[in-house]
Amino acid sequence: MLSGFFRIIKFSFQEMVRNMSLSIMTVLILILMLLSINTLMVVKVLTDESVTAVKKQIDVSIYFNPEATPTEIQEIRDYVSAFPEVEQETFFTSDEVFANFKKNYNDNADVLSSLDEISQNPLGPTLIIKTRDPKDYSKIITALSVPEYENIIEAKTFGDTQVAIDRIHVITTNVQKFTYFLTILFAVIAFIIIFNTIRVAIYTQRTEIGIKRLVGATSWFIRGPYLVESLLFSIISVGLTYLLVDFFLKFLDPYMSVIFEKNNLLSNYLSQNLVSIIGIEFAVVFLLTIISSGLAMRRYLRT
Amino acid sequence: MIGSILFIAQKYFLCYNVLHMITLKSVTKKYSADSMGLNGIDLHIEPGEFVSIVGQSGTGKTTMVKLLIAEEKATSGVIEIGGWDITRISDSDVPLLRRQIGVIFQDFKLLPKKTVAENVAFALEVAGEKRARIRQVVPRVLDIVGLNHKLDRYPHQLSGGEQQRVAMARSLVHRPKILLADEPTGNLDSINTQEIIDILKKINEFGTTILLVTHNREVVNQLKRRVITLHGGRIISDEDKGKYRL
Repeated sequence: MLSGFFRIIKFSFQEMVRNMSLSIMTVLILILMLLSINTLMVVKVLTDESVTAVKKQIDVSIYFNPEATPTEIQEIRDYVSAFPEVEQETFFTSDEVFANFKKNYNDNADVLSSLDEISQNPLGPTLIIKTRDPKDYSKIITALSVPEYENIIEAKTFGDTQVAIDRIHVITTNVQKFTYFLTILFAVIAFIIIFNTIRVAIYTQRTEIGIKRLVGATSWFIRGPYLVESLLFSIISVGLTYLLVDFFLKFLDPYMSVIFEKNNLLSNYLSQNLVSIIGIEFAVVFLLTIISSGLAMRRYLRT
Repeated sequence: MIGSILFIAQKYFLCYNVLHMITLKSVTKKYSADSMGLNGIDLHIEPGEFVSIVGQSGTGKTTMVKLLIAEEKATSGVIEIGGWDITRISDSDVPLLRRQIGVIFQDFKLLPKKTVAENVAFALEVAGEKRARIRQVVPRVLDIVGLNHKLDRYPHQLSGGEQQRVAMARSLVHRPKILLADEPTGNLDSINTQEIIDILKKINEFGTTILLVTHNREVVNQLKRRVITLHGGRIISDEDKGKYRL
């Protein structure tokens, strides 16, 4: 029993070596398919990270009228703080806002000379509000857009960051769609190539298969090498893909750390989810190879 | 339950004891409406017999061989080997049957990339025999056919007669009770033909039933054994010490 199993493994290695070019082609296509699956993973990680980073920067700025009284301002601050959705609110007095403004435009002589000409602080106090979820900003803005606050609040800004989030979603959705398409395309190509690899192997060995049958080989002994070959294709392609992906992620990580201020973002994701990623990829590839080789055997290897 | 136990016991018994007897009852093989391989064949071959099956091309000789190794299935009738009805044999039982029956062909059917020893060992490998036993058995069988000095040669380095002897060694390696020889001398000169026939006779002396399908008049006449003559898928003569009469 055990010797038969080892012989099946031996025969499948012989098969792979004899049809080396086809074997390489099959493994290459499987690697391409797996790389596109991994690209999906990278896109997902980067999307999540981008959205989180952008969300962190989102806030609502409430610009008070310079004439607004401290009582009116406090009333609005109390009103805003009462919302459970509000995570944080930061208040800047007129002087602080003015100082910040001047600091921001320190190298802009035109702006500074204009301020000198006005000779007084034209800016009112500002309230910066952060909510727990970006979708709650509209609720806060709506709550503040009432007639009694019209004379107190000069302006409310929020729109631009929402546009940024929407744009990230549009771009990543399109990238994901394209990668899904590539994955399916590579899967179909891999299926056809594996099907043909096994078909060619069966054709080139029809004499050997005939002789195996003649001397009493069981169906499993004849089919076993092709199934083991599928398993070997899966192991080799998943293994090589892991090495390539690991290399690329380590190459990308320094660039990503500049954008997201996190070290080894992608490599860490890979190592933290290694078992599930490798497991799923192996299952996908093995299923694909088993189904295609099984169909080829069913079609061309009738007992 | 008892029936299946008996069936298993029968197969086991067949494998090791009485897989000699061949019986065909009203066996017909139709390929199409106007193409008949065999037509109502009734035949009984006793254990240890040496039977020549002769006939012109297309008379059903090879069809009979194919039916006996379950390469094809009869359209109607019953085929029994050692009491085992193989007429509707299941796919999973076919390997078991073929390990009990040795077969050799006109075109030898050797693997060109394997040596003589590897070709013979191959039959044991597919049957799951242990390596130690293979190493023991292969040289012995090759000794019987006189090729133990050419273990490492490849088929293309051998003469036609030698290649056929390798095929015979391979067919004997399972110690079959029946040997089917389908035109084994068809590609051989008279000297090699004689060598092959001598080996077949020797194997028969050990108790193996031999079914020799041949066109070779001299071989049949020289054997002076049972001769079955086929014509149009039917048996037209069956003589105990027959001659080639076509």
